[in-house]
Amino acid sequence: MSRELTHALIGFFGVIAVLGGVFLAAYGGDSLDAVIVLTNRASLLLIGSNSFDSVGGGFLANIGISLASMVVATVLGVSLGGATTAPNPMVRNTAILVVNLMRNSPWLVVLYAMLYLIPFRLSIFGTEYWVSPAAKAVVGLSVPVTAYMSEVFRAGIQSVPDGQWESARALGYRRGAILRRIILPQALPQMIPNIMTTYAMLFIGTSLVVVTGTKDVLSVAKTVIASDGDDYATAVYLFVLLLFFIYCYPIATASRAIEQKIRKAGLHG
Amino acid sequence: MAEPIPPIVQLTDVRKAFGSVEVLKGISMEVDAGNVVCIIGPSGSGKSTVLRCINGLVSINSGSIRVDTHQVETLRTEKMLVPLRHDVSMVFQQYNLFPHKTVLENVLMAPIQVLKRNPDEVRSLAESLLAKVQLADRGDAYPGQLSGGQQQRVAIVRALAMEPKVMLFDEVTAALDPEMVKEVLGVIRDLANEGMTCILVTHEMRFAEEIADRVYFTDGGIIVEHAPPKQLFHNPEDPRLRAFLDKVL
Ligand SMILES: Nc1ncnc2c1ncn2[C@@H]1O[C@H](COP(=O)(O)OP(=O)(O)OP(=O)(O)O)[C@@H](O)[C@H]1O
Ligand SMILES: [Mg+2]
Repeated sequence: MSRELTHALIGFFGVIAVLGGVFLAAYGGDSLDAVIVLTNRASLLLIGSNSFDSVGGGFLANIGISLASMVVATVLGVSLGGATTAPNPMVRNTAILVVNLMRNSPWLVVLYAMLYLIPFRLSIFGTEYWVSPAAKAVVGLSVPVTAYMSEVFRAGIQSVPDGQWESARALGYRRGAILRRIILPQALPQMIPNIMTTYAMLFIGTSLVVVTGTKDVLSVAKTVIASDGDDYATAVYLFVLLLFFIYCYPIATASRAIEQKIRKAGLHG
Repeated sequence: MAEPIPPIVQLTDVRKAFGSVEVLKGISMEVDAGNVVCIIGPSGSGKSTVLRCINGLVSINSGSIRVDTHQVETLRTEKMLVPLRHDVSMVFQQYNLFPHKTVLENVLMAPIQVLKRNPDEVRSLAESLLAKVQLADRGDAYPGQLSGGQQQRVAIVRALAMEPKVMLFDEVTAALDPEMVKEVLGVIRDLANEGMTCILVTHEMRFAEEIADRVYFTDGGIIVEHAPPKQLFHNPEDPRLRAFLDKVL
């Protein structure tokens, strides 16, 4: 464990050092000025407001959108993944078709499509709702991620031996109960690394939501550059890169560690 | 004159095809309550499929299967099959215990969750059954911590906890080391002596001869010959049965 942790830490600080090096190379003697700009704009980039007592977007919006999309994609992905293993060929083939359709849609295209497909105002039972850009972003990102999650679940379900289904059926369990009580609890540990990898990928994908008009970190970055000048564009984008890296790297590293642990456990019985 | 008691399991001209391959080509079989029937035959002859048809794991193409009051081929949905699964339990070659549940949970789950039985009653039944197979102290163990023979005894207990009228055993000793075969066969012998109706697919010919009331020999999806064990093993009529016995005895 400790050796892997050392490697992970070297990787973590190594990448940060590289970003720092690029920063110094780009700004040379003006580095201090750039640092001051970043310090002044940090709260705006992180939480979308100038003081830390109110929240308007920024990197926090990316986190919120990613979590919301992940919840939606997980719920829909379980059902869809279950349907792709259904005994009924109609249900199964429809589900497989839907998965393939969703999985092969370019993320950016889906996001643009949501922009025009979902109206700004939605009237449900006479009540008018204003559909925020963030909500559209969540819907748009959920489309491809639902497909990935359903594949993760399908693979997990199929990793459990057929004998488990058979003995559960012989005990009188029905399909839904077998999935819930017997198959998923066994499949879940194996799915965790894939779920985490999918989430890291989704998180990186949140950088695309800028096209929906959400006040995510990238749109804030554009505003900052517009007001502080193009000279600081490199610094701002390096900072955004750093944020994404700090958030995603531990997830990716942990998922790899868990995967290895599971593989070892599998080998040793 | 008393009415003759009808057999508890009755298969009549059962046919089953997987795709275009006909695996069962007209199987008829009768098992009286309290009897032990063994099915022997070469690999691929359809023995496991017969058992799976009896508890509705496999649906048949034609013919009929009756188990006690259940007309199996008419049970089309999983929900309709539940009462049948209550009366017919099955034990598999690979044990198929649930690895994420303890021994006791494996035994308790289905009676409580499927049959909605009273948890306290099921628990005391489970404990006495586990004690009977010398596993009273292993209730909290996980299946992975047990030997193959112990796992198979747990699987038998799990099947018995459903309080079935008929027990199906599909080569339950085939995956076991020789020293563990005995302990599992011992459990089945006790069950048979207590009057449980048992249908066994087995390669243990001596055990079949000792325990069975009747032995069925299958080959190529049909019942070639059936008779009480003495006659079938010592006076086989069909040349296919003779060739088979020459090979396995
Ligand atoms: N679900 C299935 N789909 C397709 N073919 C099947 C299926 N189950 C069984 N078969 C085929 O049916 C035939 C009979 O299988 P079955 O398992 O009943 O034989 P068996 O007598 O139990 O053999 P063994 O002694 O090897 O266990 C085999 O050829 C097998 O390949
Ligand atoms: Mg078999």
